[in-house]
Amino acid sequence: MKEIIGKVQNIGKEIIGKITKKDSLIRFNKKLILVTESPKKRYTRYQAIITIPTMINKIDGVVFYTEDIESLNEEDIVLITPDGRISVLYQSNSYHNVLLLTNLCNCNCIMCPQQKVKNENDMTPLNIELISLMSKKTKQLGITGGEPTLLGDNFFRIISECKTRLPETSIEVLSNGIKFKDFEFTKELALLEHPDLLIAISLYADTDNAHNNIIQTKGFYDTIEGFYNLALFQQKIEIRVVINALNYKRLPKLAEFIYHNFPFVYHIAMMGMEPTGLAEKNINKVWIDPYEYKNELRKAIIYLNQRDMNVSIYNHQLCLLPEELWPYARKSISTWKNLYLNECTGCQIKDNCGGFFESSRKYHSKYIHLLNK
Amino acid sequence: MNKYQILPFKFTRFNTDTVFITNEVGEFLFISNEDFEKFVSYKLHDNNKTYLDLKSKHILTDSSLTSVINMLSVKYRTKKSFLQNFTSLHMVVSTLRCNSKCIYCQVSHKDLCDKGYDMDKNTASKVVDMIFKSPSPDIKIEFQGGEPLLNFDIIKFIIERSIKINKKINKNLEFVICTNLILITDSILNYLKKYNNVYISTSLDGPDNLHSNNRPLQSGENSYSIFIQNLTKTRQILGKHKVDALMTTTGLNITYFAEVIDEYIRLGFNNIFLRSLNPYGFAQKQREIVGYPIEFFIEEYKKALLYIIELNKKGIYFIESFACLLLTKILTPFPTYFVDLQSPAGIGISGVIYDYNGNVYPSDESRMLAAMGDNKFLLGNVMKNSYNEIFNGDYLKSLIKSSCLESLPGCSCCAYNMFCGADPIRHYSEHGDIIQNPIKSNVCKKNKGIISFLLDLIRKDNEEINNIFWSWITRRPLTEIKRCS
Repeated sequence: MKEIIGKVQNIGKEIIGKITKKDSLIRFNKKLILVTESPKKRYTRYQAIITIPTMINKIDGVVFYTEDIESLNEEDIVLITPDGRISVLYQSNSYHNVLLLTNLCNCNCIMCPQQKVKNENDMTPLNIELISLMSKKTKQLGITGGEPTLLGDNFFRIISECKTRLPETSIEVLSNGIKFKDFEFTKELALLEHPDLLIAISLYADTDNAHNNIIQTKGFYDTIEGFYNLALFQQKIEIRVVINALNYKRLPKLAEFIYHNFPFVYHIAMMGMEPTGLAEKNINKVWIDPYEYKNELRKAIIYLNQRDMNVSIYNHQLCLLPEELWPYARKSISTWKNLYLNECTGCQIKDNCGGFFESSRKYHSKYIHLLNK
Repeated sequence: MNKYQILPFKFTRFNTDTVFITNEVGEFLFISNEDFEKFVSYKLHDNNKTYLDLKSKHILTDSSLTSVINMLSVKYRTKKSFLQNFTSLHMVVSTLRCNSKCIYCQVSHKDLCDKGYDMDKNTASKVVDMIFKSPSPDIKIEFQGGEPLLNFDIIKFIIERSIKINKKINKNLEFVICTNLILITDSILNYLKKYNNVYISTSLDGPDNLHSNNRPLQSGENSYSIFIQNLTKTRQILGKHKVDALMTTTGLNITYFAEVIDEYIRLGFNNIFLRSLNPYGFAQKQREIVGYPIEFFIEEYKKALLYIIELNKKGIYFIESFACLLLTKILTPFPTYFVDLQSPAGIGISGVIYDYNGNVYPSDESRMLAAMGDNKFLLGNVMKNSYNEIFNGDYLKSLIKSSCLESLPGCSCCAYNMFCGADPIRHYSEHGDIIQNPIKSNVCKKNKGIISFLLDLIRKDNEEINNIFWSWITRRPLTEIKRCS
């Protein structure tokens, strides 16, 4: 997530609050944090003030000084830590906001962009607070992990909190689907009757060994039973395929497998990998230049679109895709980690391109090139 | 011990070096003879591409048998989901009288002035009550004849009564009037226009001479010119999408499929169903004019299909409906709801016909047999029998039991049986036995011929042709399938 470094004054413990740039007398929300270039000497209505370093020693109370106040927006939610760091937990101008429910996971995917974690503190109270602070106008919210369903009851609590507090927001849960093998668990989720919930489940291959080899545990048939249970309760399902060196060859076969076994899914995302975390550790096993698999990707996309299946390409740069696949490409990389390379300077279709992950600086295609309109 | 288990499959030698192999749910592969021999003798290695293909299609398994059988059963239920809702197509013969004397019409039609062949209100009312006892959420009432418009009062009566009953139970209700359009008038059309769920299915056998020769009127007038006039009028009043046409292939138009297709396109239709004729019931002399060997039909059909594909390539969206039905069965995990191509057969359980006198038959063919004196398939009469006696009786059940391709001799091991269907009544009418015998059956010859022709096109994996097929199956314009940026 986006981070801002600065100096703290009177900050002894973590502060979570919602950004406002409009100082107004009628606000009584104690959770507000005022961002201003020209602060008054003292405030009582805000948890903290964020201002520029030239104001040091000029104001009282809880203050954070940074040059970078421009990048904060009205209704952003931030975490200020005593070590002089602002983490932007929610960006009001982004479609890519997420709640991280847990870092724990029951898979160990070979190209996971995260690191394996053994234990952690309960993040649920923080997440509940975040939901309560988020703008009701939030269009989309991702729920991610680790594996969010591992939280059990707390997972349902989060979903139900989203339903109550953010009734207009689309929720997208990223999951490996294994937990939905449990009929009662799936039923409990369905009974929450969230009006706009998508369960996005990863599937990496059309046969058990190939999939299990990637997730490094035996989960293939459990995930499949998960699909069936979710479909039984008429839940909206997305299938996410992260393309890597171990599965790209049978991508068209995976498309066939999806169409014939799960024609009920709402959306299929063919995704480029994010080369960080475990993926970086296993880079020699998992990295494949997207240029090398463009034919397999094309075949899979054409196959699914012919069948009127809703399919998209995530995390791919347009210059690596045959032009006929451009309509399927989405700008899918989260705002805070999205970037373009030096090679992209001067590219005429850059605005339509999703760009790269931060971690792609190190690992990206050899075939990145400029395009003309 | 074998490293893998072989799951139920069927196969056929597709050509000299390829085997067509399919599982119980109709997923298939073309594999080489060599791989096939290895596969069946448990010698296929797991690093062989075909090994993974067979595993992916659930034709072999080397791990969890239970999970794979579960997946197959889900797919099987999906393929057979046409069975879930019971009878949705209800054909009603409003009259046996007709104003045409089509050369392929079998003995069942009566002349214009014949008396006693119209459905009366009392019968019609019982028919509607019976129709609405069907558990299906979709009810299609199709008026047939004779020429149904000759008894338009009863059509009005049935439409109004059905709509009234349906107000309470809210099924998806549709009406189709199968008419030659000769008798359609402004006042009839304005009446039908009041309802947004009335469709017209008419007949068109080709351009002027072909149409008029196949479908002469009893009055001697030119049926084609009246047809064209009334088609225009019907489309003006009801809307173009409300009118579809069916064609029948006879000895007179079989060599002119391209002309017939051109005529359909010229008149603005976007599909044609190249229907072969059931030649049973003709005198030998008539059969020579009207009929043709099924092998000849298959050859002409193939040429016509290739012609239609070429038209689509040129940007004309035009579907051959029989191919489209078969392609849906071959390429998708879903069933079609076409009653003539189901296993078990659609007789009674998907479609049913109510004759003018209230007699209930499981198919149009069984009604015609009855008209020729063989009442073998009579299920009952709406005036005398209850819904349960007719639809839940042992007789219909025994007919259905004899119509599962999966258990019929010759069909059960046919590699194409998931794409095909049973029609015991037609088989009885041609060969005197409800148990299908694929060696004798012309339906089998035709279906096999056309299915293997389609499979050969699919095997060639030509992207342009695939796109055309999918534009038919998914009813989308080709540009959307290609989705040019």
